Amino acid sequence: MDFKFTEENLQRIEAARKKYPTALAAVMDTVYIAQEQNGYISDEVMSEIADVLGIDKVNVLSVVTFYTMYHTKPMGKKHIQVCTNVSCMLRGGQELYEMVCERYGVSNMGVTEDGKVSVEEVECMGACGYAPMIAINEDFYENLTKEKVNEILDALQ
Amino acid sequence: MPKITIDGKELEFKQGQTIIEAAKQGGIDIPHFCWHSSLSVSGNCRICLVEVEKLPKLVIACSTLAADGMVVQTASQKTLDARNAVMEFILINHPLDCPICDEAGECKLQDYAYEHSVGESRFVEEKNHKDKRVQLGPRIMFDGERCISCSRCIRFSDEIAGKNQLTFVKRGDRVTITTFPGESFDNNYTLNTVDICPVGALTSADFRFKSRVWEMSATDSVCVGCSRGCNTEVWVRDNKIQRLTPRHNEAVNSHWMCDYGRLNTFKFVNDETRVDGPSIRREGQLIKVSWDEALNLAHDRLREFKTSEIAFIGSAFATAEDNYLFARLAKHMGVHNIDFARHIAHGDFDNLLLLEDKTPNSLGAELAGIKPEHGGLSFDEIMEAVKIKKIKALYILEDDLAGLGEEYAAALGKLDLLIVHAVNYNKTTDYADVVLPSAAFAEKNGIFVNFAGTAQRLKPATTTLETDRALDGMSMSRWDVFGTKFDRWANGSRYDARPSWRIVSMLSQKFGLKLKFQMAEEVFRSLSEHNKHFEGLDYDNIGRKGALVKNISLPVPEKIK
Amino acid sequence: MEKIVLPEIKDLHLIEVYENNGGYSAAKKAFARSTDDIIDEVKKSGLRGRGGAAFLAGLKWSFMPKTTNKPKYLCINGDESEPGSFKDRQIFEYNPHQLIEGILIASYAIGANTAYIYIRGEYHKWVKMMQKALDDAYAKGYVGDAMKATFGTDFSCNIYVHKGAGAYICGEESSLMNSIEGHRGYPRVKPPFPAQNGLWGCPTTINNVETITNVPWIINNGWQKFASIGAEKHPGTILYGISGHVNKPGVYELPSGMLLTELIYEVAGGVPGDKKIKCVIPGGSSMPPLRGDQLEGIRMDAESLKAAGSAIGTAGIMVMDEDTDLLKVLLRIAKFYHHESCGQCTPCREGTGWLEKILKRLASGKGTSSDLDLLITVANNIEGNTICALGDAAAWPVKFMVARFRDEFEKYVNKEIQLPVKNKVHAMRGTAVPLADIKH
Repeated sequence: MDFKFTEENLQRIEAARKKYPTALAAVMDTVYIAQEQNGYISDEVMSEIADVLGIDKVNVLSVVTFYTMYHTKPMGKKHIQVCTNVSCMLRGGQELYEMVCERYGVSNMGVTEDGKVSVEEVECMGACGYAPMIAINEDFYENLTKEKVNEILDALQ
Repeated sequence: MPKITIDGKELEFKQGQTIIEAAKQGGIDIPHFCWHSSLSVSGNCRICLVEVEKLPKLVIACSTLAADGMVVQTASQKTLDARNAVMEFILINHPLDCPICDEAGECKLQDYAYEHSVGESRFVEEKNHKDKRVQLGPRIMFDGERCISCSRCIRFSDEIAGKNQLTFVKRGDRVTITTFPGESFDNNYTLNTVDICPVGALTSADFRFKSRVWEMSATDSVCVGCSRGCNTEVWVRDNKIQRLTPRHNEAVNSHWMCDYGRLNTFKFVNDETRVDGPSIRREGQLIKVSWDEALNLAHDRLREFKTSEIAFIGSAFATAEDNYLFARLAKHMGVHNIDFARHIAHGDFDNLLLLEDKTPNSLGAELAGIKPEHGGLSFDEIMEAVKIKKIKALYILEDDLAGLGEEYAAALGKLDLLIVHAVNYNKTTDYADVVLPSAAFAEKNGIFVNFAGTAQRLKPATTTLETDRALDGMSMSRWDVFGTKFDRWANGSRYDARPSWRIVSMLSQKFGLKLKFQMAEEVFRSLSEHNKHFEGLDYDNIGRKGALVKNISLPVPEKIK
Repeated sequence: MEKIVLPEIKDLHLIEVYENNGGYSAAKKAFARSTDDIIDEVKKSGLRGRGGAAFLAGLKWSFMPKTTNKPKYLCINGDESEPGSFKDRQIFEYNPHQLIEGILIASYAIGANTAYIYIRGEYHKWVKMMQKALDDAYAKGYVGDAMKATFGTDFSCNIYVHKGAGAYICGEESSLMNSIEGHRGYPRVKPPFPAQNGLWGCPTTINNVETITNVPWIINNGWQKFASIGAEKHPGTILYGISGHVNKPGVYELPSGMLLTELIYEVAGGVPGDKKIKCVIPGGSSMPPLRGDQLEGIRMDAESLKAAGSAIGTAGIMVMDEDTDLLKVLLRIAKFYHHESCGQCTPCREGTGWLEKILKRLASGKGTSSDLDLLITVANNIEGNTICALGDAAAWPVKFMVARFRDEFEKYVNKEIQLPVKNKVHAMRGTAVPLADIKH
């Protein structure tokens, strides 16, 4: 199973490269593009990124394992991120997190068996004034209660 | 020159030097884990925090530039507190592996814990766990729990070896070191990471669990793997070489040596194929005889040939002293066919240390007089002459000519007389009529001259039957000092072998040449008196760092990274 | 009161609306003046950095070398990951063009032809909004080569968005630069400072999003007007982010130096259920917490908060009512710093995990009173000994929370339990100690 970037994504990578004086600097953008295409960053995806950018493979590995938003294993189609940091915690974030885990029967970074949902306990997402919050994939849901979260999650199915 | 005051000592320094460099130059050792004089500064271990007058916070000595008039305290209460704090942090998750750790005894962490720690831990939690037995490469084992994340190995691979093969992964106290998945940490310099690892995180697969450090003696020596002549230390226990490590010599090899040299240039010394006592061939079999009998036979047989039928083959594996006396004997006998074999592996070199010439002393052999004189034949001509039986007798000094290839072996088969000095039995000794056991590089004193003309000293690290560790002033391990002859560790093999120069001088007596040398040093003194290239050199001024030979023009070697 | 950073103008994020309200006129004015003049103007305005350290923006710009043959860079720090801070996203959403215009002016002042806006990865939506605004500005010729013609100047600047990917540490300016360069977000050893040796070894200035968004207004209205707003030594408006136990949490743009009590009780509508306040963290979770009974008279500016034993940080105010379990809060904070420590230098890598372990043990009822002292000394051992400020940021909440709320924490410790084993490491050093003398 060889991973290859799509033609369109290769063009996006080329555009990202132009932002910087070095190819290495485009690695974060490129990992994002790869994750978008492949769902997660496998070893062979990392090899391909290194190839496309002409950088050492370990440079890709070191970056991928540093940043929490890059996933080296498949996540659910809907990746639910629940903030439990202080501002959210003060307004029930921890309880929301436990509720969501229980609902899907998974723990932190767990994926449901059908692969539809994964749950992550995240650090502060910058929504402190609208706490508690969850994010599903790229979208923020703010000013939540347990009921509201359940409604949102019901609508996912 | 600008001056800095460290612990009340006024020291001169060069502009651009950091505090730790200025201190080192002035004989003050500021504790450090991540800093290494040949690597970039990473500043991550924090053990070198020192107090600088007029600065509000402690600064790290490894990255802070020394400045004129700067006043530094490396032992103030504030500094000691910070150092203890860092030691405590490093130790909280460090396993108590010392009893089974190869690094114990030469471990910076252990040394500093003894020197700078309070001796009591306040940490009562569970330690973090990581992978403990990772085969990072064919020669390297990694223990993630012992690693203190100093990044020396990563920087070495990238900056010195030029192979960006290692990296940190993960974050915080989960950080560990790895190669890319499925790839191996494999280049010709990986074992240097074991040397520079300040703890026992990286260990040598070859040396792992072989010996405690304090059970070995360490002797200054020179690697015989190629003509770079990397400075080494030979580590011995049970009279067996356990490992080689590089010894710092900025002009020759910096802090490094290659894996090839480290692993392939000492095992023959310990090997069962060692020649133990002289032997002569009778009815097709090599029979052990006394030295006198062997030398008498060598003398008598050599006398059977015209000098034009005899050739002497010196050796780039033997010392300058060995070759010098060998050449003196040839001259005395009137043998002009004298040369030595070059061992050039074309294309087998790199840009760091490894050279194509796979012998340690070809320049030394040549300068000491191993070259055809008065119309004598060169090595290739000698071998051609052997084939057509024009040369009928060969006297070979420490070189396995038959091992060079079938053609050479076949030629040796045609000889009427073959006298060989050998460390190990080999293909050449199969054809020999007289085999004289020579001491290996690790068993004798002597001088090698490397490709760049640096004369460097060998010292005996293991003993032969005729040498004694204590009486000969050799380096001693704790076991050597405190053990008795009844202890198990004293039972290592000792061979009846002698340095080639001694064998040659014994033989020369029989030819009426009085080479009365008791020690290698005397041979070298004679060489320096008689040979313009070695003029003014002696064992003392060659010392630990070597000295350039004279009256010769060689390309200036590039600086080692 | 006039709002500087987030004016109440409908659809200001649209370039046309921004233009109709005088947008990009400050840049034109600035380009007609000398760079020294601009730096001077910003210096005199007293504008301080809004990212945490409250450093004088104009002074920072003046550190950039005037003569260099290397390219110069401007980085805009929109990593906004400090718990309690959620202000920069308002700018990306509601006033992105003023940020762009500020970047143009700042780049001109320091001589940078390239600027990067570093936005935290989780802000997908705001990354897109910022990129949209930037695309519009490029299309209208305000950014890039075309700006030479638009503004009639020799100066031009390209602006790029760099998206982070989940690492609090990248808000630290040197890790931010490493992250842009495509490395792990490891902070760099300083000196050298960014103005000498920044992105790709070139002179670089890093400013916070909010800081730079103030700049066009200062150019338009003059330094005197800016300097007259709010606290004398920390003038201008501040985006106060108020969260936790208040009735109306949110971001409020108000003059600096507001009374903390006024912000909590009047602006944010007070505490739900009229409960008493136990604790306030005034500037994001790294800043020393204040006791509820200490709040009277404390003003939100760098100088006043320093005097009160805390710091302004990002002006992210977290309010905790009387029923708050401070051990849980502190454990959560410690967990955060442990999770976010990059792992590069020893005290932070090892210390943050240790702090969390001790606090966990306390929370499980297995702590002793001496553990509270241990927490403080471990925090002290991290503080000041690390490569970057994350060490201090991890140490301060622990150290000050335990010290200032000791009474609260004493409730959790078990005075009966004595730990069974103390690790003794080579206690036998020197002369041998009789076994009986080693006290466990």
